[in-house]
Amino acid sequence: MILGYNPGNGLLHRAHPFTSLVLALAVVILAFGLPTPTGPLFLIGALAALALAARLPRVLVTAFVFALPFWVFLVLLHVVFGDAPTRAVTVGGQITAILLGFLLALVSVHPARLVDALLQRGISFSAAYLMAATLQSVPRLRDQARAILDAQRCRGLVVRGSPWRRVRAVVPLAIPLVLGALAEVDERAIALDARAATSPGRRTPLDPPIDSTAQRVVRWGLVVGPIAVVVTRLVS
Amino acid sequence: MIRLTPRLLALIPLAVGINLAMGKFAAATSLPLFLDTVGTVLVAVLVGPAAAVVTGIVSQTAFTILDGKLMWMAFLPVQLGVALYAGWVARLGVFGVAWKAVVSGLGLGLLAATLSWPIAYFVFGGVTAGGVTVVTTLLTAVGVPLEWAVYGASLSNDLLDKCVTFLLVYVILRSLPRRMAARFPGVERARSGP
Repeated sequence: MILGYNPGNGLLHRAHPFTSLVLALAVVILAFGLPTPTGPLFLIGALAALALAARLPRVLVTAFVFALPFWVFLVLLHVVFGDAPTRAVTVGGQITAILLGFLLALVSVHPARLVDALLQRGISFSAAYLMAATLQSVPRLRDQARAILDAQRCRGLVVRGSPWRRVRAVVPLAIPLVLGALAEVDERAIALDARAATSPGRRTPLDPPIDSTAQRVVRWGLVVGPIAVVVTRLVS
Repeated sequence: MIRLTPRLLALIPLAVGINLAMGKFAAATSLPLFLDTVGTVLVAVLVGPAAAVVTGIVSQTAFTILDGKLMWMAFLPVQLGVALYAGWVARLGVFGVAWKAVVSGLGLGLLAATLSWPIAYFVFGGVTAGGVTVVTTLLTAVGVPLEWAVYGASLSNDLLDKCVTFLLVYVILRSLPRRMAARFPGVERARSGP
């Protein structure tokens, strides 16, 4: 099972980051736009073929593991306790297709390449920084949360017992995490200010991803195609 | 449109980190809580609703990317609702007294459940996060219609979750050292009202 960027040199790895992202968004539109329940199932088949062609077979395992709980509960709710098996297959197919499309983008697009591509297109540094800094902060704060939990347990904090006792146990865990994070704000703000992070000037990425006419055509196709499918279905 | 100052650029990623790290504490206590909006509510109180809206958007996007499930972006309206509601009630000074924070938290729980119900029912066929879906399945098994089972499960979870979230933010505001509190314009207003 893989999650997050995975190095490689397959079809999607060589593609411009925008191409993979547009593909993921096109899958969302097609999952809801194609006739149900066959459309989403056909989409899953096409994406599975793409995953194999792009030398990313492990993405199929991840998508299966992620989609399995949804399928189990959909069958329970709509087949065992309900009488709408078609809805179970439709929603399950839509969720699996969307999962697969997004995982393909997630595994093949390096975050730094995406930021460079966004900067090249003129997106503000603030917006790019916001996403990059967040994705770095989350694992660090999760590690801190784990360390605080271990430390407070060592000091005798009991996280079991009555519901009220457990709610109260959250307080000595949350306070150090939040105050520690707020204490960092000033230091980071000074560093950002020194680097003119909020300056409106356009920045030039050092090594932007290479785009091509063929990829632009593919992207336009991935935008126009799904919209045409939705419009055709609405009209008919 | 909000102007992203260096302070906000520094604060928002940390607030999102708080949103996504608090789940560890909820899991440790085995409570049916998400606590995934503590950072958003905190920014709404410390800075204001516009900054909280940005925090909510970044938080939902980061959660979607880290969890690998694009479908979670469908719940973005819930984060936005939380940000706007928290910013509004913070201006009324509800974080000055514990019971007012609890009552406002219940109001947020009602709002969050009402916003998440149509998404969970129409887009996901009633199947979303693990714990909530188990409650939905149990309610359906005893004969409750699916749409009401989905709303009931969301409501029971959100009322408790948002109530604890607001209570937690109340305690955090009381624990803020004076020097730190003085750096955020919204703290005094949230404690004392307009």
